[in-house]
Amino acid sequence: MPWPTLNDPVHDSQRLFRQLLAALSEPGTLHTLEAPTPPEGGIGTALWGTLLTLCDLDVRVWLAAELDTPALREALLFHTGCRLTDEPTQADYALVTPATMRDAPDFAQGSDEHPERSTTLLVALDTLVTADSAGGSWRLSGPGIPGQRALSVGERARPLMRQLAASRERFPRGLDAILACGKRLVALPRTTRLEEIA
Amino acid sequence: MNGYNFAYLDEQTKRMIRRALLKAVAIPGYQVPFGGREMPMPYGWGTGGMQLTASILGADDVLKVIDQGADDTTNAVSIRAFFERVAGVETTTVTTAASVIQTRHRIPETPLEPGQILVFQVPIPEPLRFIEPSEQETRLMHALEEYGVMHVKLYEDIARHGHIATTYAYPVKVAGRYVMDPSPIPKFDNPKLDMSPALLLFGAGREKRLYAIPPYTRVESLDFEDHPFEVQRWDERCALCASADSFLDEVITDDAGGRLFVCSDTDYCESRREESA
Repeated sequence: MPWPTLNDPVHDSQRLFRQLLAALSEPGTLHTLEAPTPPEGGIGTALWGTLLTLCDLDVRVWLAAELDTPALREALLFHTGCRLTDEPTQADYALVTPATMRDAPDFAQGSDEHPERSTTLLVALDTLVTADSAGGSWRLSGPGIPGQRALSVGERARPLMRQLAASRERFPRGLDAILACGKRLVALPRTTRLEEIA
Repeated sequence: MNGYNFAYLDEQTKRMIRRALLKAVAIPGYQVPFGGREMPMPYGWGTGGMQLTASILGADDVLKVIDQGADDTTNAVSIRAFFERVAGVETTTVTTAASVIQTRHRIPETPLEPGQILVFQVPIPEPLRFIEPSEQETRLMHALEEYGVMHVKLYEDIARHGHIATTYAYPVKVAGRYVMDPSPIPKFDNPKLDMSPALLLFGAGREKRLYAIPPYTRVESLDFEDHPFEVQRWDERCALCASADSFLDEVITDDAGGRLFVCSDTDYCESRREESA
């Protein structure tokens, strides 16, 4: 097999899904995903595991140019049967980096009547720490968070986080984001309020 | 079990429901449509809850199923047996030992813990349906946050009975935005929804809607300043365990007016009796 997939598709995807469910229901909590090695390119194990868990032929995926490798395309299509799209508004899932978000692609935000028809961002980061020690720190609050949580995502992700913070005004429309670095993953659903810690 | 996929549903159906569940926790209280499947039991017996349970259940989960608080009623026994058969999971009646609890019309008396998931069976997910039969209209009302009619309903209660007479499926507002039907749980259980440490998932099989309340989320029961929300109270204690603060069922014992009150939560009642024995 040129690109490893889940050893036990039924139980591995269930286990990974429960981690994703826990991550989205408790924003800012760190989850370590045991998943196969991703195909060559910029995405880590956690995002590859997420794609294998959630994608199938009903799903359209948008790939950012900097993550788009022939190996990733082939592996994704082979293992999940999902469709790739060039239209950000059509994407169910978008595989992006903080750099992608500087061009502010026009991802689906959902509508007030159908807020669920939105793109979920799968973001590949180089820094992801759930403490406010390093620079570029954010304070999280909202549903799923007793009090507050803190998150550091690195300087490069600042514009992305500002975009997410600004999009909170449009609730229930908005973007849900799954941030990942290697094996580690944190989710920021659209309900999570983000404040920059000066 | 041979011949079926793990937990009955096929993997593509589970993925569809899983994607919808992730949206549901991201938009607390909003009803996400999903492609409901036929389950091997009639609508109204918990097909929505079962599809959610089947989609989240793993081999190492411990499942508890309750119907009106009881582990030993028909609906609970058959759903528990179903998942024992198609998923081979361990089942329990002990609230604290369960990782997933599917429920019809009650929240256990024993406080839920972080990491537990409570799956509600929902007959009619739309709280506005009684006043507006059109799905298009209720969807618009949710979009515009137009919830005045809910208060009209509660006000009509006060005008007619002198107090809010709605006792179950009592409407709540989730995270300050969506008005939601908490399923026909008694309003006694509504305060347990607020800032619950457990994840709460709701599945309506006939209406093909699912929704969620993440842990630690604000859930307010609708009320008025001069008629604040109140839960049921009993003058009696449980006849079996003497609990004074659980939800009591009235049981008729003979045809001469004999009656007694017992806990609706059988696990809670039994554990209290064991403790005192």
